Amino acid sequence: MNRSRSRLGLAVVALALTASACGGLGSTDVQQTSAVARAPELAPDQQVSIVFESYNFGQAGAWTETFKQLIEKFQAAYPNITVTPQKPQGNSANPATDTIPSLQSQLATGNPPDVAQLGFSDLDFTIHQLGAKPLDDLVGKEAVQANFSGAKHSYAPTARTLGDWGGKTYGVPFVFSTPVFYYNATLFQQAGLDPANPPKTWDEVRAAAKKIKEATGKDGAYLDCLTKEAKDWCFQALVRSNGGRVLSEDRKSLTFADQPTVEVVQMAQDMVKAGESPKLGQKQGYEAFARGDVGMILETSAVQATFVKGAKDKWDLRATTMPSFGAKPVVPTNSGASLYIFSNDPAKQRAAWELIKFLTSEEAYVTISSKIGYLPLRTGLAQDPAGLKDWADKNPLIKPNLDQLAKMEPWTSFPGTSYLQIRDGMMTAVENAVYQGADAQATLSAAKDQAAPLVPGGGK
Amino acid sequence: MDDRTDTVGGAARWRTIRGHAVLAVLGLLCVFPIYWLYATSLRRPEDVYELSPLPWPLSTQSFTDAAAKIDVVGLLANTTLVALLTALGQLLTGLLAAYAFAAWRFRFQRLLYLAFVGTWLVPFQVTMLPNYVLLFQMGLLNTLAGVIIPTLCSGLAVLMLRQHMESFPKELLEAARMDGRSSWTTLWTVVVPNLRPALAALAILLFVNGWNEYFWPAMVLQRSNDVLQLGLRSFMGTEGNDWGPLMALAGLACLPVFLLYLVLQRHIVNGFVRSGLK
Repeated sequence: MNRSRSRLGLAVVALALTASACGGLGSTDVQQTSAVARAPELAPDQQVSIVFESYNFGQAGAWTETFKQLIEKFQAAYPNITVTPQKPQGNSANPATDTIPSLQSQLATGNPPDVAQLGFSDLDFTIHQLGAKPLDDLVGKEAVQANFSGAKHSYAPTARTLGDWGGKTYGVPFVFSTPVFYYNATLFQQAGLDPANPPKTWDEVRAAAKKIKEATGKDGAYLDCLTKEAKDWCFQALVRSNGGRVLSEDRKSLTFADQPTVEVVQMAQDMVKAGESPKLGQKQGYEAFARGDVGMILETSAVQATFVKGAKDKWDLRATTMPSFGAKPVVPTNSGASLYIFSNDPAKQRAAWELIKFLTSEEAYVTISSKIGYLPLRTGLAQDPAGLKDWADKNPLIKPNLDQLAKMEPWTSFPGTSYLQIRDGMMTAVENAVYQGADAQATLSAAKDQAAPLVPGGGK
Repeated sequence: MDDRTDTVGGAARWRTIRGHAVLAVLGLLCVFPIYWLYATSLRRPEDVYELSPLPWPLSTQSFTDAAAKIDVVGLLANTTLVALLTALGQLLTGLLAAYAFAAWRFRFQRLLYLAFVGTWLVPFQVTMLPNYVLLFQMGLLNTLAGVIIPTLCSGLAVLMLRQHMESFPKELLEAARMDGRSSWTTLWTVVVPNLRPALAALAILLFVNGWNEYFWPAMVLQRSNDVLQLGLRSFMGTEGNDWGPLMALAGLACLPVFLLYLVLQRHIVNGFVRSGLK
């Protein structure tokens, strides 16, 4: 009796403490977009400190080292601006998944980072809920466009509008990839396929995958676009390439249970059922390819370094553009992130803009691409002997990505505050259909019906 | 008669062999992940995705990479500091509280003791939020002090030491008092020297727990990866996991505990047996 009473007492105390703790952290206020005042130029001796939050600072190695060097260069050029780099707060093994919760909790305490690197899937939420500042208002449309045009090489036309909303630029696209079709030329040869002529359509991919499986016993093709873990950027590329969309153009209704999407999921399911594609999770999939156990993979160039390392002295890694659905045009989408300003202080806003300009300059892209291998969004650099020509010539794997930039369309972010539930619900349905054999149409329709009420306006 | 003895002996031997075989398989299953950890850390960087059971040719490149990419010595020092201070704090508070419970009779003694035991029974997930908010208000988030301070007192230490103190001969305490020794002197000159084996076993147990802790440091040190267990996260990210250095660092993180185990094997086993845990 005594024991149960004291336990009950403890439970009540614990519950009260927990409740007070939850209340203590507060909640994120919904912010609306509105015009903001112009941030004045900094006086030469005006000291400003800013914080730059990026998920890439969580990973040791080339990215962190390169960015430390870039920030040192920036501070040498702007001795009055001090930049503190930081990774998002959070416990995820992959810091990229911590970006939004980190920003929300910092906004709740009124102390957001001045510059943050956030994914394109969060664009709507970043602008309408987190209150990213419109750069056109902060520094003027001309200055924003002048930065895109650059001193010598401008941004790829498809890239410069990726952070825009309602005619204003909010984010400067920074680092991203399009879906690249990597293949193992050694396995192609062993299977009697011509590595100089990789598959151009999904039908050809299926035929090649079948041959590889039969001739070598290795797996045929893995599409890193069909699991919840992979998010939906690459899945959207597949759907767009089959003439569909996951969200209507007016952003009011979900269209991921329409025929073009169902066809994509059905094809992927057929590939798995026929043994042309292995049943693997995201990491297992690309690590199996790096090991030389899978013939082809549709993947972001962010993991290209993993492939290069795995292929070294063992097999021939090559890359080409994304295959098409028959004669339909291929529509690649982008992964990656933009740089946004969240500061409310005019001096910090201006300093943040100077940092963004520096990080997206020709000089910075030469460093970023040559040291980390990211796609230079100022594509002209790849042909400029004073820029990245030598590097691009030595790294032919970058070419399909550069080629695809011309016809790329944006990775569409879902609307509303529950955008992640919508996205994850859709991708869970895709994963269930492709890898668990659930009926494609029924599963996608059920996911759509479940997610529709989460879309502002009902989503029907 | 002889036949029957043979049969019984044979059956017993067969049972023993079967038992040992099961234990051997279970032992291998337990050791395999640790073997794989070191095997992967000793592969060449281009071989880390290989599934061959033997890493060949051997390479220490992953260890060199890990040392080049992060401050391994700093991480080792920080982790040692956290584990050591946590263990010492818990030992000291446990010792003082257990001494008070065992040596004196006072009002609400039983209730207070239950409260101590209660803190041990309440899951960490329940207390972590209030602790976190308190650290936030004190400005101790993202500091090693924030990791250490809330863990300085442990219900487990009080519980275990009180059991030992209870069995400590009261006559000795009486004799010390007759000698004119104060309670404080009695504790350090009479009780502690006699409890040394129990204190050593508990200290090791608390140190190992502090060393292996991941969740609480991960909550407090949100931005930095200042202890070894969090340093492992530095090799995970959007560009894939850097398995070689990750395994090399994980291998290094295990070494101090392995060494401690080798040197103080008897005390550690004793510690775990006495605590009835893990």
